[in-house]
Amino acid sequence: MFDSKLGAFGLLSDAGPVVLFVLSVLLSFSIVSWAIIAFKFSYLRKSLKESRVFLDFFFDVYNVEKVFTASEQYKHGALPRIFRSGYIEYKALDDKGNIRQARARIARAIKREANTENKNLSTLVPFLATVGNTAPFIGLFGTVWGIMTSFHRISLTQSASLAAVAPGISEALIATAAGLAAAIPAVIGYNYFTQQITLIERDIEEFSPEFVAALLNEP
Amino acid sequence: MKKFSFWLAVAALTHVVVLCGAVFFQIWNAGNNVKPKIVSVTLVSLPAPAGGTQELSDGEGGAEESPVQVLTTPAPSPAIEKTVQQPVAKEPRLHPSLSPKIIEEKSPASQPPDNQLQKALDRIKQRVEQTTPPPQPASLKALNTALAKLQQKVKSAGAGTGEASGRRGAGDAKGYGTGGTSKSYKAAVALIIQQNWEFSGTLLKNSDGMAVYVRINILPDGTISQIIFDRKAVSDYLNNSVKKAIEKSSPLPILPKEEGSRDVWIGFVFSPEGIEK
Repeated sequence: MFDSKLGAFGLLSDAGPVVLFVLSVLLSFSIVSWAIIAFKFSYLRKSLKESRVFLDFFFDVYNVEKVFTASEQYKHGALPRIFRSGYIEYKALDDKGNIRQARARIARAIKREANTENKNLSTLVPFLATVGNTAPFIGLFGTVWGIMTSFHRISLTQSASLAAVAPGISEALIATAAGLAAAIPAVIGYNYFTQQITLIERDIEEFSPEFVAALLNEP
Repeated sequence: MKKFSFWLAVAALTHVVVLCGAVFFQIWNAGNNVKPKIVSVTLVSLPAPAGGTQELSDGEGGAEESPVQVLTTPAPSPAIEKTVQQPVAKEPRLHPSLSPKIIEEKSPASQPPDNQLQKALDRIKQRVEQTTPPPQPASLKALNTALAKLQQKVKSAGAGTGEASGRRGAGDAKGYGTGGTSKSYKAAVALIIQQNWEFSGTLLKNSDGMAVYVRINILPDGTISQIIFDRKAVSDYLNNSVKKAIEKSSPLPILPKEEGSRDVWIGFVFSPEGIEK
């Protein structure tokens, strides 16, 4: 019945253009998803690690000059970058005696950098959610189309034997399998990254006032 | 973004590798897979077409002996029906997949058909007597009845239109044929067709009517010139598989020299193993 030695892959040679298109879309989704997963995983891991090390150093030393010098080593961490932006703003102040104005300017600079960091952290992650939500449906579309074609063929051959029905359905089901194969890692990655980004955002929110206070030499 | 491009390339490469691995795995796995069970070909005699005589296959020395099943067919119809099953001692079956019961059909015979059939019947009688243990009264009676019926059929068939079919009985592996195509040739044909028959009985839900009666006409050079379905099975899958197997088997080995330049007819019954009652 299944002449091809390639099994499921052999069936693709008989697949229609719609099923092939669906499969190519899912394949590209899968490739991009895995690229995002790998990219984000390395980015977030570095950011979290460097932020933790920086925070330890910050609370140990509590000298803004030294902390700024040390922060230059941590290029990937979100918190070191935010601290640097606040420090640069602090240095740029003309009138350091006006504490209220200085605090407002530093706070604004830190807020700006925090927003930029949040944006950087969450870039590309929504694509994972899109793939996780749509890939099964795209696969299902390919399957439904394949089964429709299969039944059409059956009506043409006027044979309802298993040999006539099974290859078409098997070929159609590949699309659903491909959709799930693309969606499952995307959903797992999305949930993991969302949780990690939330942790970093919480850190940023928590330590931004600390940085302002440290820069202004407030207790 | 440079880093993302790098990861994109890595992901694409990984996908290519995984897909290639999956393809190779499928190929490797296909090589290791046990083929689906191939259902054997059961060959039985088929009726001759009207106007022709019929010579039944020679089962001389046949190792496979089954209970006697005389198949008779009404003259105009090619259908075959089982009339008698005689209780005789079973001998161990050799190869369950192939039990050739071959009928061979030729152009109008050189001998009167009545004589041939009568001789065949005599031989059956002799062999049954020789090989069966002393029959019990009931079985003896059944045997006699069957033989009487068979004789009646032969007489009623008349010259030139005689049709008969049968299976070899226990102890009589020779069958009815005289002067037919050599047994080795029939066995070779059966083997070739069986090897080319791709069919899985497990796909069939219903076993009723799952027998295909086919006649093939073999030219002297071994080419199959005609395939006639005397009775088709309910399943198109089975019918098509039989047709494909026969078509795939052509050309067969050239006919033995004793056949001269005549073409021969050989009949088969294809039935899924285990379904046949």
